[in-house]
Amino acid sequence: MSDPVDPDSSASPETGASPEASANHEIETPESSDFVAVAATTFTTVFLAELGDKTQLAALLLSAESGRPGVVFAGAALALICSSLAGVLLGRWLAAVLPAKRLERISGVLMMSLGLWLGGQATFGLLQPVLDLSTP
Amino acid sequence: MQLPLLASTFLTVFVAELGDKTQLTIVTISGTSNNTLAVFLGSAGALVLASLLGALAGGSLSSLIPPDALQLAASLGFLVIGLRLILRSGTDAP
Repeated sequence: MSDPVDPDSSASPETGASPEASANHEIETPESSDFVAVAATTFTTVFLAELGDKTQLAALLLSAESGRPGVVFAGAALALICSSLAGVLLGRWLAAVLPAKRLERISGVLMMSLGLWLGGQATFGLLQPVLDLSTP
Repeated sequence: MQLPLLASTFLTVFVAELGDKTQLTIVTISGTSNNTLAVFLGSAGALVLASLLGALAGGSLSSLIPPDALQLAASLGFLVIGLRLILRSGTDAP
């Protein structure tokens, strides 16, 4: 039998435990700010990407306005939460299967091509009236 | 009965969102970050709020801000995130 380890004795091997505890709290702060930073970055990116894309859903909701827009919104919100959960889980699975550096490179290339494609489309859409005016 | 309407909306939106660029973004951020819960809360909140705004504003939002301008801003965000990931995968890699 190994000697029983008393959790209290291991928690305070030194007498000056209170500055130690406050230092631990200091260490916890960047972690919680990291949580906020990750959530805020995700929120901003997804929000911007989705807001310009929401015309279809808005039309769907408007078309249901005569009926029950509340039910339509509940169904849409539920579906969006489920789809983002599926995305998060897929990302976690990929992170477990692929080496981190390779996943970062693949993701980076994917995001850059998405950005170029989306930016090109948006620029073309913004310039469309100008192009129409220039051609007689 | 409200259940068929709820189910049909759920299925329509869920299938429409599968493989969408938004979900690709979520997969990317989730795969390259350790904070799964933060990614989930951020993305789910953004999706719900964006659809709520879109529903409340309806057509007036697209007349106020052109959707293409929003897409352009989002594409800049994609480029920044992608560049950061590529740079990160290049540094201190064996």
